[in-house]
Amino acid sequence: MAIIDPFKDGLGRGWKVFGGRHAGAQPLPERISCDVAIVGSGAGAGITAELLTQAGLDVLLIEEGPLKTSSDFHQLEREAYPQLYQESAGRKTADKAINILQGRCVGGSTTVNWTSSFRTPDDTLAYWQQHFGLKDCTLEALAPWFAQAERRLGIGPWLAPPNENNELLKRGADRLGIRAATIQRNVKGCWNLGSCGLGCPTNAKQSMLVTTIPAALERGARLLVETRAQAFEHDGSKVRWLDCVPVATDGSAASDRTVRVSAKHYVVAGGAINSPGLLLRSKAPDPHNRLGHRSFLHPVVASAAVFDQRVEGWAGAPQTIYSDHFLGVDPIDGPIGYKLEAPPIHPTVFATTMAGFGLEQTRQLKQFPHTHALLALLRDGFHPQSPGGRVRLRDDRTPLLDYPLTAFVMDGARRALLSMAELQFAAGAREVIPTHELARSYRSWDEAKREIAALPMKPQLTRVFSAHAMGGCGFAGEAKLGVVQPNGQHWQLENLSVHDGSLFPTSVGANPQLSIYGIVNRLASGLTHRLTGRTVSLA
Amino acid sequence: MSLAPAAQAGRMSTGPSRRRLLQLGAGATALFTVAGGAAWLWRPGVRGGRLTPSGRAVFRAVARAVLEGSLPAEPAALDAALERHLQRLDETIAGFPTATQAEIAQLLGVLSVSATRQWLTGLRSDWADASVNELEAALRRMRTTDHELRQQAYHALRDLTNAAYFAQSEHWLLLGYPGPSAV
Ligand SMILES: Cc1cc2nc3c(=O)[nH]c(=O)nc-3n(C[C@H](O)[C@H](O)[C@H](O)COP(=O)(O)OP(=O)(O)OC[C@H]3O[C@@H](n4cnc5c(N)ncnc54)[C@H](O)[C@@H]3O)c2cc1C
Repeated sequence: MAIIDPFKDGLGRGWKVFGGRHAGAQPLPERISCDVAIVGSGAGAGITAELLTQAGLDVLLIEEGPLKTSSDFHQLEREAYPQLYQESAGRKTADKAINILQGRCVGGSTTVNWTSSFRTPDDTLAYWQQHFGLKDCTLEALAPWFAQAERRLGIGPWLAPPNENNELLKRGADRLGIRAATIQRNVKGCWNLGSCGLGCPTNAKQSMLVTTIPAALERGARLLVETRAQAFEHDGSKVRWLDCVPVATDGSAASDRTVRVSAKHYVVAGGAINSPGLLLRSKAPDPHNRLGHRSFLHPVVASAAVFDQRVEGWAGAPQTIYSDHFLGVDPIDGPIGYKLEAPPIHPTVFATTMAGFGLEQTRQLKQFPHTHALLALLRDGFHPQSPGGRVRLRDDRTPLLDYPLTAFVMDGARRALLSMAELQFAAGAREVIPTHELARSYRSWDEAKREIAALPMKPQLTRVFSAHAMGGCGFAGEAKLGVVQPNGQHWQLENLSVHDGSLFPTSVGANPQLSIYGIVNRLASGLTHRLTGRTVSLA
Repeated sequence: MSLAPAAQAGRMSTGPSRRRLLQLGAGATALFTVAGGAAWLWRPGVRGGRLTPSGRAVFRAVARAVLEGSLPAEPAALDAALERHLQRLDETIAGFPTATQAEIAQLLGVLSVSATRQWLTGLRSDWADASVNELEAALRRMRTTDHELRQQAYHALRDLTNAAYFAQSEHWLLLGYPGPSAV
């Protein structure tokens, strides 16, 4: 089957892409004017660009990462991490205790994500209504916006059987009498390769790279790549312009030439951490000290298990089975709950996520084909002792997330390691190895139960990571509770909106992409209407 | 690891339990200036995005311990594998943003001077002379200590080593990973 790379064709037909290696053909101008400038090209940016261009607005997308397309995707970690991820997939919280995966390329995190698609859970929305004055965030009010996003992005049931890695989650859950169900995915004609995290080489994944961004370019939008939105110039109530700088692949400044962008409206969609970072660099008004606060991660702990049979966690659709059982044990604002999933594993991620070194490590790595992995996404942000983290700026003005792993969160980490070990033994595991520096390889549930209960659950010792950065520019019904209004517009800067995962006032409690697609769909339709009087629709 | 601004150095007086970055640039400045003479300033471990000879010596030694059992045993093959590993580390480090590269440079600088190496790792011998046993003992102490700085240094050394080594397709055999499916 021939794979069509929409960009090859589109660029040939005159899509307007500037910056980076595209600079030769189209030199970066010193000034650009447009109707709406969008920072980023990920989940929130893509949906926004599609809707705004439908109404005929002149849109400029500014993306700091490179334009890489299916022809560049070779399913290799050594290429994908430096080219497609923030900080070469090594972004860390300030104390280095959490490793954060985020995309940094055209399509943003959607180019590298694992396609799991969930609507925002009802109890999360209820919490937002109650605590953040988001009265319109009800399941009924959002349903049509989700439904459109699902149609546009091919989100639907995954009908192929799960790979063994996911099947083991189902098997263990069934044996324990815990509910596990199938995950919806946003794919069309998926080859079941398992390389979603390294860029989809067949364009089956309906990421922003192959859906909304091409649609916007087709309608005349301009895309600046390898260009960072550096800072807004504003007078406290209105943005005057946005200064952008060319950057190299490693994120360093490629030259000191600034591009000044003037627009009628500006949409910040650089993703959590970077969006608050941009507003902090711009000294955006923040009278209630909310900017950068309440940044959430769904901190993740993982448990590896070795089986007699081959598991081949790298092969096949990455996440297709989940269990929300442990989100429902306690109330949402009680002890932290967690969602269970079975992540894809490739050599580098596996070798760096497992704890330890030397001969013990070599022994574990040799069992790679027989290794199954589970992860627990901790639902942070619903309890006073889970206030999330705070984004601040480094000396070089790049953003840094300070996220203290509190005892409250780490209590959830322990319960999650216990649940995962129990489930893995129930599924027939020969050994279970929690990713903790003091854990050993356990041979029975009894042994694991005793030992995990006694592990010191401290940052650094417990290996924690995240692929779900959220919050930092929260939306809320009152200015003192958030950075932006319920319609996405900044509380103080009238011609600036935030349209990405940084909007969420807590974590989502489910993989966030569809929450972003659905909610931004509503906000961007509203913005289009305010700017043009026209009604547009995703699907 | 972080290059905290010198202005924050005064805050180091708060107790050791305080959550901190690997503040080699901050409070540790004073300590390292006494112990190692601002080591990283005159002997950075990374320059122009590449490991310096002293940075290479640290990573070469660390690889012998972290990758024990994964490296070839035969001396010439071992040498060649370590040489390719260091090249791959150069590429890995070059992919990081400037701030991270500076942190790695600083860490390696500190690890290259014997007084500060001993303080951070407890390793007595020079990197090149240390036996695998001595290296292992040092890494084990760093790994499980309560000292945040030492733990951070351990994770940085160990994770970079593994990331660079197992990203090379020639080492996938060891993991039984067949490589990507054909498209
Ligand atoms: C490996 C991985 C797997 C994931 N798996 C899933 C999954 O299975 N299901 C799910 O629901 N979610 C998943 N996610 C999360 C999901 O993809 C993200 O939550 C979502 O894409 C975030 O959307 P966003 O618009 O907030 O930001 P992003 O999609 O991250 O886009 C932000 C973009 O803005 C750019 N940018 C940032 N700052 C600037 C600036 N100053 N100037 C110019 N450009 C800038 C960035 O380079 C980036 O490209 C995964 C994420 C990762 C990394």
